[in-house]
Amino acid sequence: MLDHILSILIFFPALAAVFGFAVNKNSIRSYGVAVATIEFVLALWLWFAFDSNVSGMQFMEHIPLVKTFGINYIVGVDGISLFIIILSAFFTMIGIASLGEIKDIKNMIVTLLFLQMTMAGVFAALDAIVFYLFWELSLVPMLYIIGAWGGPLRIYASVKFFLYTFTGSLVMLVGMLFMAYFYYQATGEWSFAILDWYRLILPESFQLWLFAAFFMGFAIKVPMFPFHTWLPYAHGQAPTIGSVILAAILLKMGTYAFIRFSLPLFPDASVYFMYPIAVLAIIMIIYTAMVAYAQKDIKQVVAYSSVSHMGVIILGTFALNVEGITGSIFLMIAHGVVSGALFFLVGVIYDRRHTKYMSEFGGLASVMPRYATIFGIMLMASVGLPLTINFVGEFLSLLGFYKQSHILTLLAGTAIIVGAIYMLAAYKKMFFGVITKEENRNLPDVNKRELIALIPLTIITIWLGVYPKVLLGPINTSVEAVVGMMHEKSLTQEAKSRIPNVTKDVEVVTNLAENPAENSQEEAH
Amino acid sequence: MLSPVNVSIESLNLMTLVPMLIPIVGALLIIVIDLFKSEQDKSLYVMLSLLILGVDFVALMESAGIFKQNGTIMGVFDVMLIDGLAILSQFIIVGASLLFIPLALTHKRFHEFSYPEFFALFLFMIAGFQFMVATDNLILIFVGLETASLALYTLIAMHNRDKSFEAAVKYFTMGALAAGFYSFGSMVFYALTGSVEINKIAEVLAANNYADIGFVLVGVVFLLASFGFKLSMVPFHTWTPDVYEGSSAALAGYMSIVPKIAAFVVAMRLFEFLIHSGVVWLEVILYMGVVMTMTMANVWALVQTDVKRMLAYSSISHAGFVMAAILIGTTQSNSALFLYWILFSFTNLGSFSMLWISRQKNLPAHQQSDHSYDKFSGMVKTSPVAASIMGLFMLSLAGLPPFALFWGKLYMISSAVTGGYTVLALIMALNSAIAGYYYLKLIVYMFMKDPIVQNNGHVYVANATLPLKTIIGIAAMGTIFAFLAVNQLLEFVTVFVYNSGY
Repeated sequence: MLDHILSILIFFPALAAVFGFAVNKNSIRSYGVAVATIEFVLALWLWFAFDSNVSGMQFMEHIPLVKTFGINYIVGVDGISLFIIILSAFFTMIGIASLGEIKDIKNMIVTLLFLQMTMAGVFAALDAIVFYLFWELSLVPMLYIIGAWGGPLRIYASVKFFLYTFTGSLVMLVGMLFMAYFYYQATGEWSFAILDWYRLILPESFQLWLFAAFFMGFAIKVPMFPFHTWLPYAHGQAPTIGSVILAAILLKMGTYAFIRFSLPLFPDASVYFMYPIAVLAIIMIIYTAMVAYAQKDIKQVVAYSSVSHMGVIILGTFALNVEGITGSIFLMIAHGVVSGALFFLVGVIYDRRHTKYMSEFGGLASVMPRYATIFGIMLMASVGLPLTINFVGEFLSLLGFYKQSHILTLLAGTAIIVGAIYMLAAYKKMFFGVITKEENRNLPDVNKRELIALIPLTIITIWLGVYPKVLLGPINTSVEAVVGMMHEKSLTQEAKSRIPNVTKDVEVVTNLAENPAENSQEEAH
Repeated sequence: MLSPVNVSIESLNLMTLVPMLIPIVGALLIIVIDLFKSEQDKSLYVMLSLLILGVDFVALMESAGIFKQNGTIMGVFDVMLIDGLAILSQFIIVGASLLFIPLALTHKRFHEFSYPEFFALFLFMIAGFQFMVATDNLILIFVGLETASLALYTLIAMHNRDKSFEAAVKYFTMGALAAGFYSFGSMVFYALTGSVEINKIAEVLAANNYADIGFVLVGVVFLLASFGFKLSMVPFHTWTPDVYEGSSAALAGYMSIVPKIAAFVVAMRLFEFLIHSGVVWLEVILYMGVVMTMTMANVWALVQTDVKRMLAYSSISHAGFVMAAILIGTTQSNSALFLYWILFSFTNLGSFSMLWISRQKNLPAHQQSDHSYDKFSGMVKTSPVAASIMGLFMLSLAGLPPFALFWGKLYMISSAVTGGYTVLALIMALNSAIAGYYYLKLIVYMFMKDPIVQNNGHVYVANATLPLKTIIGIAAMGTIFAFLAVNQLLEFVTVFVYNSGY
């Protein structure tokens, strides 16, 4: 069974969703929780069986899909993707478990299970077309979640979300087809397998164009400035569960794809674009932090702060060294946990008051002490307080980029201060002072169902903040392999010096730089 | 003094005519039955047509087997040309017809199906299309084209609504103009080369090195215009939405598939040698035509308020997308054309059938047209299965993986990449994104809005009967599980296209 555990992880929720149509409306919640729990246990089992000393892919499966055209169903997991898969299963589980009273709950749970399939698929896929398939398919459930359960502008928000991402991904698809074509030219065979592509060394000019094509798809998904405009709408209109999954998992697809595709496939282009992207990331960090400060709506504050932290992830990724990339992957997990939790918390107060305006609140700490405590912990984590989960990731990401540029890192560091300002200001407005609105006087504190989601998230936040090594170990092993490969594959002097040489024991077989068109294939690895 | 003609029957290769003769004989049979005993139920004719088309399909499989062994076969004084293209396109023509004809078995009574002539004309039309694709003789192409078109005009008019008459007359007028262009273009080529066979024309033109390029261009212009009409390329597309709106949804779906594949094959035979022989001007014109057809049709589709008109514009856009294959002109792109069109027939016929089963006899007060978007709002609440299936077809048309049309798009864009048309590949990709919006619009109406009038959902399946549901089921299955069949299809198509020298 372990040989097929990834396929089970991907298709079990989909099958369960199909069966879910037949489950009675009154029992669907228990059904959803049961299925999601099994899925999560399977994901934990994957972690348990995972060998963290191996840097390459594990649990690989290989089924030909369109043989003539080199499309295969290939899945596998390494340290980079393992924890995001577990996180997605975890969020589906607590998301369904803590689902409030909403209309059409059956449709919602079935949709969430489908969504879980696509999320597991994206992070496990090792074939570009299969990756693209799940990547695109993930839009549909989210479109439905936002469009059917969202706020008043839900249709605009959901269509904008869909079209933005769809457009970007189509450009990316053209890039993938080019990549496959170059592989075909080099080897005479079509292949969309990422591991095959890793062996291909492209001349720098090709890399730049392909990098740009892939960048369109990924940057919109992340979303990077200036493609971020869909996200505040999507978050603003989405129901709580939609925002949680969107922030915790779906956005990670973009940053994950940078590490899986852009960096190892185009090391020279990554170096070439390092500064422009870093500048974009810093604009994203500072600008969205300032925008967050100006918001009146607590959900928008959380949404913009989420974008801001995504900027740090991008910065860490484009540090192009082990510390930065490891930090950015860790920060993906951390950001998922923390911003997911914050969206849950916003949902809690929204369910009670049906407003998200901070001016409507004030003095909540005395009415809802447990709520205020958890909110406080998550807020501290979001700000990046040491011994919380975010700190580890942010620190490593910034440390990594510090090796590339001191000034830019310093600028990014200031954003953490801005982050503290808007977060603390929001907290003050909502929780401190005297109660000004009568309606707030008798609000019930967090109930049991909500605690199901919040308690585990709080525990993770502190546990991984204190002892991050459980995650950092496997991540580090895989990242070292990626960075080592990038160093080997890079052609320009600039890239060789920017990307550190971490693997000493791998012999390099490249005299191909002079003659890349004919035999741009590398034997090593 | 005429010398005695001495032709042996074997050299005529009359077997090449069998696939076309089967529907003709079948059509005559239907007329004869009506002659002896009229006032029969439509189900008789539907089933008879199905059987005849089934036999036709088997005959095609046989000729496919022969082609695989012996390669291209000429027959009947070398007029018939049974190559891979002919066989593949006939498979699509007959296959789509097999899926179409049971759609006549509606729950409500539509009067065109009570005439046996409808089915006879339908079979004649299929024979016409089959002739059209199975020859490279310009005259026989013309005969096939006109047989098919005249039958089709009548089929549209038989729907017996004011709009249908308008549609038929419009289609007839435009078709007549196209036929005029076609005959004029062929005449120019005949005058230049003394032959009406495309391969001979190509030979003669190549032999004298395109000395009369001016006349060649005149001929090309006329042929291009005539095929522009048939394929509804912008700016010759204006008839399409009106005709689709006027004819029944089922027939509109049929028209978006079968006449076009026939025209594509002829265009492929005709234009590819011209493009590849250095008539650069034609390449530019075709490039512009492809881009304009894709983009403009998409933009027009954005603003439609009626789903059927939207689908009409969308099928124009798809035709433009596929026309790119002829521009690119590699084996991969030509295979992509057939792959795309096979997958497209499932999806598009499915979505038009969904409109067909929701067809009302009379329009309710709040509705402007038969299939306005409003009609579908909140459909998921009243008729969830139908809404899901319709949504599935829309996602497939938008090119979302893993549904059928994605694979066609993937292969088609890849052929543009491989053929060196990078910009075209990007334009094709971005057009898919534009198209995403209007397909999404219907999904938004169905899944995210509330019903305008409280109804019990019956309206969406008012016309459904078991045969119709079966057809939709087949189309839906084909759309979902396409990824399992793509490999076989691709291998099959590529072998046939490659062995015909395209």
